[in-house]
Amino acid sequence: MKWRKNDMEQYVKAKEYIDTVIIPLIPFQMAKDQELSKDSFQNEALALFLTEMEKELSGRLLLTPNYHYIKSTNLEQEKGRLNLWIANIQEQPFNHIFFITFDPKWKKVERELDGSLIWLPGFPTKDLLSNDVLQMVRGQVTEISELIRSYW
Amino acid sequence: MSDKKQQVSRRQFLNYTLTGVGGFMAAGLLVSPIRMAIDPVLKETSNGELVNVGVSVDDITTEPQRIDWTVNQVDGWYESEPSRSAWVFKDDNGDVVALSPICTHLGCVVSWEGSDQHPNQFFCPCHDGRYEKDGTNVPGTPPLAPLAVYEQEIKDGILFLGNPISRKGA
Repeated sequence: MKWRKNDMEQYVKAKEYIDTVIIPLIPFQMAKDQELSKDSFQNEALALFLTEMEKELSGRLLLTPNYHYIKSTNLEQEKGRLNLWIANIQEQPFNHIFFITFDPKWKKVERELDGSLIWLPGFPTKDLLSNDVLQMVRGQVTEISELIRSYW
Repeated sequence: MSDKKQQVSRRQFLNYTLTGVGGFMAAGLLVSPIRMAIDPVLKETSNGELVNVGVSVDDITTEPQRIDWTVNQVDGWYESEPSRSAWVFKDDNGDVVALSPICTHLGCVVSWEGSDQHPNQFFCPCHDGRYEKDGTNVPGTPPLAPLAVYEQEIKDGILFLGNPISRKGA
């Protein structure tokens, strides 16, 4: 499920079945020309990955809107803000909270987050709609689904 | 000799030309309304909605296999369902069956024999929903309706699939 009208109407009726949340953590920056293309590509790649992921387990999983932050920011601050999101999410009966990100910096503060961090290595910068990339995304979706199911 | 040739009178000449030109104009006016009137017929015969999913009928066995394909799109707008999947197999009569993998409970993706405890059934990983091979939901599990069936057509031994059609609950 995504945070959109139809899904949320369904969510309110079927709450007891949806016990897992995924929060995408996505860095944003406009300051460095040479990294703009790479960073924005990773944003698109993660969007593609999450769309497929959400489809696979949509009946038990809520995909929240993306959590964006400035790439060069100090994660000590972000960590606090992110935990506020989680506190809010936990007003509902969710049992499992996952973060998905390509940004390895989160690994360091992982233990201070109220959820499980899933870090993925970024995708090679290629045409997103090429068959190679789609195959790769499907492979990763299968593996990450397995991982999430092992928590259920 | 030349006076023996049939002469076309001025009146005849004008009649012929006017009829000819008038005819063309009338035809030109009529083409678009006629085209519009018969257009739905043309569309139906060409089956524009069915997509070649890249599987030959000979490769389909009685064991369900998952096939993925992408719906033709104008651009890469990822939000709008770029890919579709189906479980495809031949039933006892040898007819091809293409089931939608979307669980009718809350929309997870089911897999064939996805649980070791339940062989010969489709299994939904989210809430242990189960379906028989023909897509009928197993009573007592969360789903209340059978898996949807894709519109299908076989042309030159290649499978074409359209939209999933949902079925009434068992």
